[in-house]
Amino acid sequence: VTAGRSIAAALAALALAAPPPATAATSHLGVKLAARNGRLLATVDLGAAFAPPVERELGNGLTNVIAVYVSVLPTDGGGPALVHGRVIEILFDVWEEAYAVTLKDPRTPQGVSFVLADFRALRAFLAEEKDLDLGPVALLPEGGFVVEARVEVNPVSKEQLHRTREFIANPAGGSRAGGGSRSVLGAMASFLLREPAPGSDVHLFRSRPLGRGEVVAR
Amino acid sequence: MLALLPALLAIALAQGAPPEPPRPRDLSPQSRRYQIERIQIVGLERAKESEVRRHLLVAEGDLLDEERVLLSRLRLLQLGWFSRVETRVEKGTERGLVVLVLEVAERNTVIVTDFILGSTDPEPIYGGLGLSQQNFLGRGFGLSGAFVYGGSPVGRPDDPDRFAVRASFFAPSLEVRGVRHGLVLGTTFMLVRGEEFTCGDAECDAFRSDFGAAPRIRYERIMGEGTVGIRPGPFERLLASYRYEAVRASEVGAATTVPGMEPAIFLGRSLVSAVTGTYEMDTRDDFFFPQEGMRGLFQVTFGSRLLGGDYEYSRYLLQLETAFGVLGRGLRLQTAVGIAQGNAPFFDRFYAADFSYFALGPALGRALELNFSTDPRYDAFLAMGGVEYAVPLWSKRSFFRRGYLALGTRAVYSTGTLGGKRTSFTRSPVSADVALRFDTPVGVFNLSAGYLLDNVL
Repeated sequence: VTAGRSIAAALAALALAAPPPATAATSHLGVKLAARNGRLLATVDLGAAFAPPVERELGNGLTNVIAVYVSVLPTDGGGPALVHGRVIEILFDVWEEAYAVTLKDPRTPQGVSFVLADFRALRAFLAEEKDLDLGPVALLPEGGFVVEARVEVNPVSKEQLHRTREFIANPAGGSRAGGGSRSVLGAMASFLLREPAPGSDVHLFRSRPLGRGEVVAR
Repeated sequence: MLALLPALLAIALAQGAPPEPPRPRDLSPQSRRYQIERIQIVGLERAKESEVRRHLLVAEGDLLDEERVLLSRLRLLQLGWFSRVETRVEKGTERGLVVLVLEVAERNTVIVTDFILGSTDPEPIYGGLGLSQQNFLGRGFGLSGAFVYGGSPVGRPDDPDRFAVRASFFAPSLEVRGVRHGLVLGTTFMLVRGEEFTCGDAECDAFRSDFGAAPRIRYERIMGEGTVGIRPGPFERLLASYRYEAVRASEVGAATTVPGMEPAIFLGRSLVSAVTGTYEMDTRDDFFFPQEGMRGLFQVTFGSRLLGGDYEYSRYLLQLETAFGVLGRGLRLQTAVGIAQGNAPFFDRFYAADFSYFALGPALGRALELNFSTDPRYDAFLAMGGVEYAVPLWSKRSFFRRGYLALGTRAVYSTGTLGGKRTSFTRSPVSADVALRFDTPVGVFNLSAGYLLDNVL
C-alpha cells in the first residue's frame, strides 16, 4: 500500500510539474536598448522568422497578418515587466505586384499604411523592428532581465476555428454505440475533426541576460 | 523611395503623431474588388474534387472575400483529409480577375481503431485489430473493420474458435437537396462466436484448475444494422437504426441455477429485432485534448415481437462528457447512465467492467463485445461518474504529434435488476487510471496502466 501511494504521489507530482507543450523552438534574439524621454526603446532582430521561404506565403495575394510581441522579463522569474505588441497586415497585390502594409500598434491603433515595392524591402522592414516603445524605463527590473519576442504568422482565432468546425466524425464501430472495446493500445476515438497544427507558425526569440547598464541613453 | 519607408515610418512612430506615408495607389483589401474567375485545387490524390469544393465557402464568380477564403482553408484542414492547405491568388485572364488556388497535401486517413491484447485465466492470450479508412472513395465516407480472436477455450482444444468480426460503413454527411446539413447513412455487420461461463459464481472457483470442465453457454450472433439520420445542426446528429440479429445458443455442461449468474439468452435459435433512436452531439474544441465543449449521446432501443424478434425489451443509454481548460491542462467530467428493461438479451445489457478502468475481481472489459473473463453478469442498470485530469506533454511535428498524461478516476454502480442490490463485479466500485495517450497519423493510442492492471487483478 505504501509503495502504491508513493508511486501515485510521484505521478501526481509529475503531472503537476510537467511543462506545457512546446509550440516552437526558441532562437537567440539580438536586441539594442535605448532610453529616451524616460521611455525604453528596443530594436530587435527578427530576421530568423522571415527567412526567404516566407516570401511564398507573404506573396500569396491574400492578406497575411503578423503579430509581434516584445516583452522584458526579470531573469529571476515572474511575469513581464514591460510589453509591446504590434500587428502588421501584408497584402501582395497580384495585379499591382507590390506589397501593401498596414502597421497597427498602441500609438497608431487605426493603423499606418504604406507600400513596399518588393519582398526584399518587405523583409528588411519585418526583420528589424526599430525603436519599439516598451514603456517607462523606471519599470525595468532591478536585477538582470531578458527580452523575449514572439512572432505569430497568420494567427488563427478560436472564433474562426469554431465557425469552421463540424461534427462529421466517422464512428469507429459504426452506428453501434456503447459497446466500445477496451484495449491496452487501443484507439480511443477516430474523429475527422482535426485542428490545424497549433503553433506551427510561431517563432520565439530570447535575448541573453541583460542589465540596466546596457541601456543606452539618447 | 519605397525602401526608405520603414525607416521613415519608424521615425514617425517614435515622434508621436505619425504622418500618413505617401500612398502611390490604394491597395487596401477594402478597395480591391477582384472577382474569382476560377478556383483551382492542386495536390488531390484520392479525395474527390467535388467533395472538396462542397466544403468551400467561396465560389467561382464571387468577389474575393478574404475572410471566406480563410474559413474555407480552416474548414478543409478540419476535415482531417489534409496535412496542409495553402491558399493563394494568381492573376486571372484579365485585370480584375483572379484565380484562387488551393494547394493541398493529403494525409493518411487509414487509422487504427482497435489494437487489442489481453489475458485472462481462462484465456491466456487473445488479441485483435481494427482499421478504419476515414476518407473512403475520397468522399469522406468511413469504412471500418475490426476483429478479435481468442481461439478455442482453454482446456477444450476441439471446441470452435471464439472470435468477433465487425465491418461498418458510415457516410457522415451526404449531400441531399433540401437537407441543410446533409444526410447520415450507416450500416454495420457483426459476427460473434463466444461463450459465457455459467458456474454459479463470478470467479468460477470450482473449476480454477480446469476451466475446460466449467459449464458455459456457447453462442453465435450474426447481426446487421442499418442507420439513417440527419444533422439538425453542425454539432448534432439524429439517427434511426434498425437491427436484425440471428442468435444461436447452446449449453455446454450443467448450467447454474443461481439467479443472475446465467446470461440472458434463449437457448436454441432466436432473433433480435430492434429499432434504435440516437441523438449525438459533439461541441468539443479538439478531439484529442479538449479544453472546452461537450460530447453527449442519448440512445433508446426497443426490441419487440411486433418487429419479428423474440426479445421484448427496451434499453436507454445516456453518456456525457464535458471538457474544461484549467491552466493549460484538461479536465474532463464523464458520466453514463444506462437502463435495460424487460427481456433484453445479455449483450444489450450493461457489462459494468466496460465502464470501469479496472475491476478488482475476474471481470474484464470486453473486446468487440466478447467476454473472455469468468464473470457472466450483465446488468439492467448502470451509473458511472468520473473525472480525468490531463497534462499535455508534447506537441511537435513528428509521428507522435501530441501526447498527454491522463490521470482519471471513476465510480461505477450497477445492478442486475432494477432496484436490486449492487453487483459486486469489483471489490471496489472506484477505479483509477494513469494513461499515456498520443496522437499519431494512424490514430489515437491509449497506453493504460488501468488496463494492464485489469489483466493481472
